[in-house]
Amino acid sequence: MVDESTRKTLSSIPLLQTKAGPRDKELWVNRLKEEYQALIKYVQNNKAADNDWFRLESDKTGTRWFGKCWFVHNLLKYEFDLEFDIPITYPTTAPEIALPGLDGKTAKMYRGGKICLTDHFKPLWARNVPKFGIAHAIALGLGPWLAVEVPDLIEKGVISYQEKSEDTK
Amino acid sequence: MLIMLVGDKLSHIFSKASSFNIIGAQLCTNLNWIEISTNNLLWAFQMSPLSILSTATDTSGLKFCTVKMAPSTDWDEIKRLAADFQKAQLSSTSQRLSERNCVEIVTKLIELKLIDVIFTTDGKEYLTSQQLVKEIRDELYVHGGRINTVDLAKELNVDLTQINTSVSEIVKKKEVQLVSGYLIASYYLEKIAKEINEKLQLQGQISVGELTLQYDLPADLLQHNVLERYLGKIIIGKQDTSEPRTFYTEEYLTRTKAKIRGALVGLLKPTPVTVIINHCNLTDRLFMSLFDYVKAPGVLTGRQAGAMYVPSCYTKSQNDWVVNFFKQNNYLEYDALSRLGISDPKGYVKRIFTNDDLTFLSTCVIGSQIKQQLETELEECIASKTYLDVVSLLPSVLSSTDIENILESLLKNNSKSTMLFENTVFSNNYIEGLKQSCMPITQKKAENVVRSGKYQQFHYEKQLSKSVEMSQQGHIDHKAERRDERRRKAASGKGGGGTQGRETKTKAVKKHPRSSKQAVPDSDSDEPSNMTKKQAQLEIITIDDVESIIKDVLENEGLDDLVGQVAEYLQRGLNQIALDIAKEIAEKFLQDASQNRKQTHTSAQDKINVLVNDIKLYEKGIKSLSSEQQAQFIKYLLKSLGGDVLAELCKYAANQCNLSLQTDTLTVEQRNKIINDMSDEYKKPLAALNGSLSEQSLELFYHALDVCLSECGMILKKVDKKKDKLLIQNHREKLISELENCDDPALSLHIAVLAIFTLVTQNMLHASGRQVPAIVNFLKAHITEEQFEQLQSCQELVTKFLTTSEEEKSGVEEKLHEVLPKLKNMVQDIKRQK
Repeated sequence: MVDESTRKTLSSIPLLQTKAGPRDKELWVNRLKEEYQALIKYVQNNKAADNDWFRLESDKTGTRWFGKCWFVHNLLKYEFDLEFDIPITYPTTAPEIALPGLDGKTAKMYRGGKICLTDHFKPLWARNVPKFGIAHAIALGLGPWLAVEVPDLIEKGVISYQEKSEDTK
Repeated sequence: MLIMLVGDKLSHIFSKASSFNIIGAQLCTNLNWIEISTNNLLWAFQMSPLSILSTATDTSGLKFCTVKMAPSTDWDEIKRLAADFQKAQLSSTSQRLSERNCVEIVTKLIELKLIDVIFTTDGKEYLTSQQLVKEIRDELYVHGGRINTVDLAKELNVDLTQINTSVSEIVKKKEVQLVSGYLIASYYLEKIAKEINEKLQLQGQISVGELTLQYDLPADLLQHNVLERYLGKIIIGKQDTSEPRTFYTEEYLTRTKAKIRGALVGLLKPTPVTVIINHCNLTDRLFMSLFDYVKAPGVLTGRQAGAMYVPSCYTKSQNDWVVNFFKQNNYLEYDALSRLGISDPKGYVKRIFTNDDLTFLSTCVIGSQIKQQLETELEECIASKTYLDVVSLLPSVLSSTDIENILESLLKNNSKSTMLFENTVFSNNYIEGLKQSCMPITQKKAENVVRSGKYQQFHYEKQLSKSVEMSQQGHIDHKAERRDERRRKAASGKGGGGTQGRETKTKAVKKHPRSSKQAVPDSDSDEPSNMTKKQAQLEIITIDDVESIIKDVLENEGLDDLVGQVAEYLQRGLNQIALDIAKEIAEKFLQDASQNRKQTHTSAQDKINVLVNDIKLYEKGIKSLSSEQQAQFIKYLLKSLGGDVLAELCKYAANQCNLSLQTDTLTVEQRNKIINDMSDEYKKPLAALNGSLSEQSLELFYHALDVCLSECGMILKKVDKKKDKLLIQNHREKLISELENCDDPALSLHIAVLAIFTLVTQNMLHASGRQVPAIVNFLKAHITEEQFEQLQSCQELVTKFLTTSEEEKSGVEEKLHEVLPKLKNMVQDIKRQK
């Protein structure tokens, strides 16, 4: 299962109610609203806990999402681009989060930079349809993945720190 | 404010609208109205609502109308949410700096020495040192001017070392000081001073020690910075001059003075200061310092805690008592004085009676009066030839050693005419009187001692023990030694003996005061020597003798407890006198003896001659008997007359050997004893003679006798026949006359038979009663038949008389009485015939 902090994070993210995908016109809006509300809450929570680690925005329809995520290791901030599409079968299918910058650098990744999520993630997601949304996917999928993979990659020297002067905290 | 726009493809507008023109065109072409919030517009076109409206109306002449809410509002909502989301993501990041980071930053800053801050103990806060100083000051104020630095550290949550550095900075500014971990401000001290003053006014007295306890501040600080500083300003009182740590109020001092005065005036006897102090509930020091101001009616013995207060009235009465007592009794006992509380009685007495002539003794002092009295009494005693019991004249408190001392000084001048026993002085005359009363018995005892021969024996034994020693040195002729001894005795007796007694007496008188003083400790060492002396000296008169005589006299005077001592003393003198007397008597005795010795020699010689002669005569008589009967007669003869001869010789020899003989007649045992005791020269021959007595041969006896006589320097006279005849005649007459006077039948018969024998044979016969029948048989041939029968019948009667029982005796006796006169007549007849 997921670790204690993740569980806590997860529990503080509001659950969603509307089961609708991008194809369900009206309902998708509702769903998207809920998604946003959940994300806002999640971000707020993260900030409150001084644990802000990603930026995310979507296109108008809310089907394509992109942004950045970063990981602090040894007081250095490693930043990666982040993108994913809302699958057509959403929310039954979980979104496939991708870090294109790391494509080909690690085994725990599908073609195109899609991260390999843990074995736990999918059943957990399946059990929680439609309550889980994007926020959950990030918290439950991307977060742990980064925590495991990034230090490993840094150690292997696959990724190295790049100074980013314009980077704001 | 709402603008109702018509059009169904709002998304189109949003996506493409980029200028006012476009907005206007879009609005016009679309038939549907959409409701757009100004917010949405603002968001979509990034322009002010007014300009949007104006452009919209200008370009297309839009109709404003209300339209039902379409689903498109949801999209607006979403946009809004998306915007919120972005805002949320952007805004808060810049605002919030996490605690972790802050700590990091600050550490970095401190590392770079860009800032100077102090951590709180939990590490969550930072302080600048100025802030800390300020906070410390505030805390100090809040706590009333006094705070512990440790408490400060706790309160401010700052490390103690930081506090301490800041404190040192604060202290630099004078109005605050650091005292034993406390920060103390000057206003605090002032506050304390006020408190102390209140307390002082309340209690009247206050000590620094007390305050130290109360305020938990060092005494020095309180003393100098509080009390002395504010004395007279805030604290109204007085510092004790002798004890700067104590402060009083004026009233308190006056009150205390009054208390002390009251106590001192009330006291009548010496009292330890501590008692007074305890009673008045004061301190030593205060009492001592105030005592001088009180003008007390008395004095203190010292300034220490153990001193005594002696009221003057007490001293006065004490002096009065002492003077009065001395005046009345003329003595003072140290004990009594110390009971009055005088610690040095001797010195005290000397001080008071400076002019008097006092005698200091171990327990008391006596005045001259007593001494004078004693002297007069003593003189009187000497004059009146009596005795003086000193104890009765002296105060009863004197110890025995004191009395001795007094007596010693007293008797110094009069020792020759007095005599001291215990504490009673006797005049010599009195003692002399006692002695005289003992003289008769002394005389008597001395005589007895010499008479009984104990004296001589004693001397002889003494001589013997001496001669034992001397005999080891060499052989000395016994006779010569004896003669020397005799001479020596005589010389000493005449020369020293008489005066010696007197000398010892006077000596003893002189010595006595001294010896009596020594007597107590020396008694042990003296006694053994006395004992040996006594052994060496014959004790003629015993202490008991003397005691029994003087007891009555002394008891009448009530001096019975001195009887023993006086007796002992007298006994010594008397014994000496008795010895002298004994010596004199013994000498006289010896002189007599030596005078008599010649007489005794001749008389013994004569006696022995007579006896030997008798024996020889009897022997002749015996020879006329038959030879078988002779042995028995010889045996008897030797036993009786031979024994007498030996006895005479023994007596003589004993006399020569200075052996005393109690009796004139000697038994066989006595004889044997004397022979054994004799000196060797006599012992052997006499023993031989004694042995010869048991032999039945006269020849042996004569031989032994000759040896003895030659040893004794005697000779036997030659036999004179005429004299023998006369002797026989005398013997015969004696026998006859004896017979005439004799009434006893057996003896009469015995004498009669012997007389007849003498008459018949003209020889003497010595025989025992048992031999009577043998003699009667012998006479048968020499007398008539009639006479013989008469004799025989008489003899039978006598044997019967001697053997028969009591009842028949009277009858036999009567018959004998008839026979006896006939017997006597017969003897007369035979005598006439011859």
